[in-house]
Amino acid sequence: MDKLLRSLHTLGALVMFAGQVARSAFTPPVYLGETLRMMNVLAKRCVIPVSLAVAPVGAVISLQGISIFKLFGAERMLSSFLGTAIFREYSPALASVMVAAQAGSSIAARIGTMKVRGQIDALAVMSVDPVRFVVVPGVLACVIVAPLLSVLTNLLGVFSGWVFAVPIGGVDHGAFMEHLTAQITPADLWIGLGKCSLFGLGVGLIAGYLGLNVGKGAADVGKAANDTVVSTIVLILLVDYAVSMALLGAGL
Amino acid sequence: MADLTPTPSDVPAVVLDNVSKSFGDHTVLDGVSLTIERGSIAVMLGPSGTGKSVLLRCLVGLLQPDQGRVLVFGEDVAALDEKRAADRKRLFAVRRRFGMLFQDGALFDDMTVFDNVAFPMRLHTDLSEQAIHEKVSDRLARVGVAHAEQKFPSELSGGMRKRVAFARAIAIDPDIVLCDEPSSGLDPVMSATLDELILELHRTLGMTFIIISHDTAEARKVADTIGMLANGKLVTFGPAERVFAENHPALEQFFTRATVGPIKVV
Repeated sequence: MDKLLRSLHTLGALVMFAGQVARSAFTPPVYLGETLRMMNVLAKRCVIPVSLAVAPVGAVISLQGISIFKLFGAERMLSSFLGTAIFREYSPALASVMVAAQAGSSIAARIGTMKVRGQIDALAVMSVDPVRFVVVPGVLACVIVAPLLSVLTNLLGVFSGWVFAVPIGGVDHGAFMEHLTAQITPADLWIGLGKCSLFGLGVGLIAGYLGLNVGKGAADVGKAANDTVVSTIVLILLVDYAVSMALLGAGL
Repeated sequence: MADLTPTPSDVPAVVLDNVSKSFGDHTVLDGVSLTIERGSIAVMLGPSGTGKSVLLRCLVGLLQPDQGRVLVFGEDVAALDEKRAADRKRLFAVRRRFGMLFQDGALFDDMTVFDNVAFPMRLHTDLSEQAIHEKVSDRLARVGVAHAEQKFPSELSGGMRKRVAFARAIAIDPDIVLCDEPSSGLDPVMSATLDELILELHRTLGMTFIIISHDTAEARKVADTIGMLANGKLVTFGPAERVFAENHPALEQFFTRATVGPIKVV
């Protein structure tokens, strides 16, 4: 019972925190330079791991899919399945999971370290709202960088799938491209990017919240970073499932 | 820094009125009342864990006392709730009159020494980058770390970090400078240099200093007002000559480093 109450308390505190972040993000002063700096840091930190995570997925979809599609003589349509799977599901989910692992942990660790070392108090004494200066830039950076990474992973995922379907699997290039472009609609792209932004928002908020509410020592900073990764990845996968169900239900 | 909210010159810099603060069962400040006049150098002495740092944090609104008033240039900081927008604005206006040297420096790890000292200037002044550069160089030269402008805090020794933090605390000529253990981690020569810098800033810019210290030599050198906290209570406070002449037993124990006396080792 205590555990349930504590969880509800944390959830309530997180919702209040999200409200505070939203107010701070849309009212001056906004620290644009700090936001751009965080975007640069997070993009550099995430681009290679995200690429390495998504590229093999496209390859595996083609590798496994081609043998199944061949049973029905429909290997020419493999790219339809590959494109939908990559654009709508794997690319947003994997890009966001890697953003959670790389960016979320680094934001939580950075803010937690600042808190433990008195730098958050130093900001407050200098009349700087720590939520505006350290949390909002991190959240905005996640919201913007996650979909940008997803664009890259869309291309990489489809390319690696093409490699295993066309040169290796023997599917005709023209047929591959025809079914790919016929199946992928702008809605698929926007849905994927929208999901990435939503997941990025969750990563930034949870990382900021856990970082600011860290305990007193170095071990607590590590725990905040770890908790950020675990909780955001679970959240991303659950929300991804719920959003996909809702969109399919709505005919999108 | 120019006063953001002009106050009559006869209003003291700081007044604590019956301030108490507890953490759980542990009372760290117990009915503390004192007045620190503008332009004075007040040194608060006392053994570890007697609430000296808590007192500083109450002054800038980082902690709220359980009871009592904390007046900074007449504004009751203890009555301001940082969560309320109107109060936050007033609290931030009060805080802009402070510079604070934290015990561990609290420099920003991902900024260079230069950017750390320039940070409050960029935030709270309209100075050009050229003027900021000159002023940062001046502040760093005063504390003897001009050569480390482009280094990061992690590349500095503890003493150097402390000096950079002091340069940041005085960056925008605050009305009040709070120093939490300024001499800890410094060698005796650098400690004396910092004391002289405090005296010079006091003399030339009229800054008010409130210094938390264990260093009795520092207290004798710079203080015009001395206070002593022991067991949460302010056991003595007043002009330095008078306090030294009265020689309260707790102060005597502190200065003579005696293990027997009113200060108990917990």
